[in-house]
Amino acid sequence: MSPKLTPYLLVLPLIAFIAVFTYVPIFTSIDLSVRSWNFMSPTKPFVGFDNYARLFASSAFWNSLTVTAVFAGISVPLRLGLALAIASYLKREALSSRLLRGALFLPTITSTVAIAVVFSWVFSTDYGLANAVLGWLGFGKVPWLQNPQLALFVLIFINTWKQLGYDVIIYIAALQAVPQELYDAAAMDGGKRMQVFRRVTFPLIMPTTYFLLVVSVIEAFQVFTVIDVMTRGGPAGATDMLVHLLYRTGFVLFDIGTGSALAVLLFVLLIALALIKSRVIGGKVHYES
Amino acid sequence: MLRKLQLATAASLLALAVSAPAAQAATVVTFWHSFNNAGGEALDKIIADFEAANPDIDIQGEYVGNYNDIVAKLQAAIPANRGPDAVIMEVTRYGLFAEGGVLADLTPYFEADPLKDDLYDYARQIGVIGDKNYIVPFNSSTPVLYYNKDIFARAGITGEPVLKTFDDILAASKTITETLGAEGITGIAAPGQFSRWGLVMANGSDLVDAMSGEILLDAPRTIEAYQWMASLVHEHKVASADGVTEEDNGRDAFLAGKVGIMMNSTGNYVGSRKALGDKLGVLPMPCNPECSVPIGGAGIGLLASSPKDVLDAAYKFVSFAASPEANATWFAATGYLPINKKSAALPVAAEALASQPGIDVAINSLPYAHGRARTEVVTWMRTTEYDMWQAMALGTAEVEATMKKFAEDTRAEEARLGSQ
Repeated sequence: MSPKLTPYLLVLPLIAFIAVFTYVPIFTSIDLSVRSWNFMSPTKPFVGFDNYARLFASSAFWNSLTVTAVFAGISVPLRLGLALAIASYLKREALSSRLLRGALFLPTITSTVAIAVVFSWVFSTDYGLANAVLGWLGFGKVPWLQNPQLALFVLIFINTWKQLGYDVIIYIAALQAVPQELYDAAAMDGGKRMQVFRRVTFPLIMPTTYFLLVVSVIEAFQVFTVIDVMTRGGPAGATDMLVHLLYRTGFVLFDIGTGSALAVLLFVLLIALALIKSRVIGGKVHYES
Repeated sequence: MLRKLQLATAASLLALAVSAPAAQAATVVTFWHSFNNAGGEALDKIIADFEAANPDIDIQGEYVGNYNDIVAKLQAAIPANRGPDAVIMEVTRYGLFAEGGVLADLTPYFEADPLKDDLYDYARQIGVIGDKNYIVPFNSSTPVLYYNKDIFARAGITGEPVLKTFDDILAASKTITETLGAEGITGIAAPGQFSRWGLVMANGSDLVDAMSGEILLDAPRTIEAYQWMASLVHEHKVASADGVTEEDNGRDAFLAGKVGIMMNSTGNYVGSRKALGDKLGVLPMPCNPECSVPIGGAGIGLLASSPKDVLDAAYKFVSFAASPEANATWFAATGYLPINKKSAALPVAAEALASQPGIDVAINSLPYAHGRARTEVVTWMRTTEYDMWQAMALGTAEVEATMKKFAEDTRAEEARLGSQ
């Protein structure tokens, strides 16, 4: 075998896997987005941009977009802020820190379905643990998952709780990589805690913050499981995020064309957001050479 | 030692060679269904009885989940040609599959089958779209009104309660909630979609006309019914909002003895009897003023993609499942309606009727039970109705405006589906 060919042959299985399970579905989705298909019909007639037009004219789409934007707008800063604060405390190499890190990371590796089922019970209005505790404290029952304003915040809380451990671990690694000499130098210059954080720590962990920002925004826009198990987009569409609407359109209402159009729009939206982040924040990210 | 091993291997190979042809001779029919627990056991018995009578047919029943789970799995299986041969299909949602050519036209089988003369009229009509028969009924139901006798007694309502009109139900629910609310007991479970449809029919209207397909979501009596149902939750607070966003919560609370009244399918009878025992009472749905109940449940359809010999074998099973003996077993084990006129006379059914009070309420409702529309738009309408109902019941949307917009959107979707 030619030595020049060997590297390509070695990566070929992975490329084939990525092609089949990533790129083929993407291009198939783009193709289906301009067709009308209910998964049963042998034909898939071309309909141009009708599916997109129907989406833009649909109140359900704009509702989903708003709900998703609110979810991401609140959960992402909350996650990153909390993760950084906790990581600052847990970066010390002590037994208690290691135990707490493990405890924080557990939800990340726990089945999302299991988490959603348990929290459904916790936040049940009549028989849930949350309202039981409120009852003991003398408060009345709160309709956690039946109040359209509250339900989304419950999901934000659950998603933050589940993903926090991952962000904390990443931040701990970044904080531990900041050279101690810089803190010593700042101390000698009389730098106060917040000043040191703002001038030394935060700029040096910007690459990590940027990475977590990109990942957490993508994750926030793709939340599905906890919604499908706990609220199914309710009450009255208050938690109907884009991916849930996509699933309902394609697989419950059998409108694969419109569902695919929504998938393409979501893809374009995430690319646009990534470009915006790159322009706005990318310039402020300093990588150590 | 080696000799023994050689003999054992030879014997195994011989046994395999003998059994393989026998195994290959059996026609395998894969059957996706939605029954577990008591229903699953009853179905297993029906399958075992069929296989005993037809040793050349092997029915491989597979519990897939609820009706929606079956549809979700079919969506992946059909394009990949990995679908089952027989499948349980909900009675208002199989139209899309029938018109999409997924389900086989069973008319030739049905017309040649003496079974058709033994089925009740309502059962015969369930599987018909146009002039073709696509499913054979299996688990048919109507909604009934379950109540907890103990809760009623503790609320001061003695004897069999009069719950014939919406006003009767509201009054009883209020009494229960006011008397026992401090113990966490509410008067009524928020009605699920099947019961909501039944309450609309009881109020003299419908969601979609079963004969003409006309959208009736904005009919005055439909709106009035929804106003009453929504008021149970957000105005009178006799039904918990927990049951609005997750319908099973209302049922679970009733089975736990925390709710006085539940309107639900007769298919829930056996489970309710197991949970509440003698505390369970069963009454017909209200007549407000009309007595009219929807027929629900599902039937068994066969996939058109299956080979002819498999379709023949599958229909044999489907016909057996609707036979008097199988149907009587099914009725006694679950509470679903008998679909065969001869079932009730059989010992197992007669014993159930004699020993399980209330199991006959749905049967007695049959004279005014009606099939529901199953046009293509019904799937869209039923899926979207959940959001509309939640908004109205939780008080975030006004009923009349919501139902009128819902009707308009449903007609638009119907026009779009018709143009494809």
